[in-house]
Amino acid sequence: MIVTINKQDEKTFVVLDGRVDSSNADQFQKDVAPLMEGDNTDIDIDCTNMTYTSSQGLRVFLLLQKSVSSRNGKMVMRNMDPRVKEVFDITGFSNIITIV
Amino acid sequence: MMLDMQSEMILNEYREKLPIYEKMKTVILQLLRTYLDENHVIVSGLEARVKSEQSLAGKMELKSYKYHSLEDITDVVGARIITYYCDEVDIISALAEKLFEIDWENSVDKRKMLEIDRFGYLSLHYVCRIPEALYKDPEIPQINQIRFELQMRSTLQHVWANMYHDIGYKSDVEIPLEYQRNMTRLAGMLELADEQFSHIRKEINGYRRMVQTMVTNGNFDEVPLNGDTFRSFLKLMPFKNLANKIAAINQGEVYEDNLMPYYNVLLHMNMKTIGDIVRMCNDYSESAYQLALIQLAGTGLDIVAYSVAVQNLCIVFILEKGYGEAGLVRLFEALYGENDYHQQRAKRIYEQAKKINLI
Repeated sequence: MIVTINKQDEKTFVVLDGRVDSSNADQFQKDVAPLMEGDNTDIDIDCTNMTYTSSQGLRVFLLLQKSVSSRNGKMVMRNMDPRVKEVFDITGFSNIITIV
Repeated sequence: MMLDMQSEMILNEYREKLPIYEKMKTVILQLLRTYLDENHVIVSGLEARVKSEQSLAGKMELKSYKYHSLEDITDVVGARIITYYCDEVDIISALAEKLFEIDWENSVDKRKMLEIDRFGYLSLHYVCRIPEALYKDPEIPQINQIRFELQMRSTLQHVWANMYHDIGYKSDVEIPLEYQRNMTRLAGMLELADEQFSHIRKEINGYRRMVQTMVTNGNFDEVPLNGDTFRSFLKLMPFKNLANKIAAINQGEVYEDNLMPYYNVLLHMNMKTIGDIVRMCNDYSESAYQLALIQLAGTGLDIVAYSVAVQNLCIVFILEKGYGEAGLVRLFEALYGENDYHQQRAKRIYEQAKKINLI
């Protein structure tokens, strides 16, 4: 998974490219760790090129969501591939994370 | 402003002691804030001030006969607690009695001073000292000796006092009786409103307690579905068994998320009582599990949200009632707003439901 983070004014834009599974979930968590601190409270994640997430990936997204919520922020995932969206739907994670 | 010699001496002493008064103000505010927090008391306002030199001089000019020394003036430092409801003033006063030493001789309950046919200023004034056991500064021992005034009143009592002060005191001319009468009428109205707010609050709290008891006792058909009752019902973790069973499909865990967004969905599904939700749970849990099984088996996804249980129950309910794909789209729109995904998701679930003979 390639994680690109760009900060523009108050907003943090993240682009995800590839898949998250057991082989790279730890690295993925390290890559997104900067988003879990400081003034990164308005996060927009582009998932156009995200091809899959395992439950390890879901746990990282959950950590990120909880971190943003605890700082009264907002996180949105957008342009999700229907197959990836299905993972969020059948686990109930669509109820936790805002997907547009 | 013309002051006699005694008043001038009092003013000089005031100027010397001003830093002590300022320190007292800070300490009193801090003590009150901490004590209210510790006792989980939420108030509308908490404030403190040191009387200005001009205000003190004005007071002495009006009543110089009354004050022989600065110690005679007990409100040089003043604090005020404003409660939301009038019946909370007594709670606050009880806390103040525990916290401070009260000079009862000089404390006044203005709420009890008005004649039966008079309306106006209602407030409880305590003259207090900070006990050494509560706060002590060896460099400023006077902090424990100087008296201060603590005013306690409700928000509406505060409104009246502020408005009366603004209109009554600031006027240079005597207010005609007609206007004074109007102010008195307003005081009476606010006093009634104050009591009504307290009364309504008590009734609502009583209703909440009654409903919570009914939910806890399992009298679900008697409990109307509303935000309060749904919240109480959720504390019983009514969907936990189903969520655990779904998580077990991949030997996974349940993450407890917030189910309150489903409150409006359940209302849309024509649920009238908590009993209706319990029936949905009893009637459709197995089908909701079967749906999860066909979706999750073999995926290795070993974490699910607690809400997946109620989500699947709602899906099964909608399909069983014959609302089809359109009903599912409406469910997703109610939960997440409009989105292009919903149609596709509804179609997919509809096909899965057919496979397990749900429809």
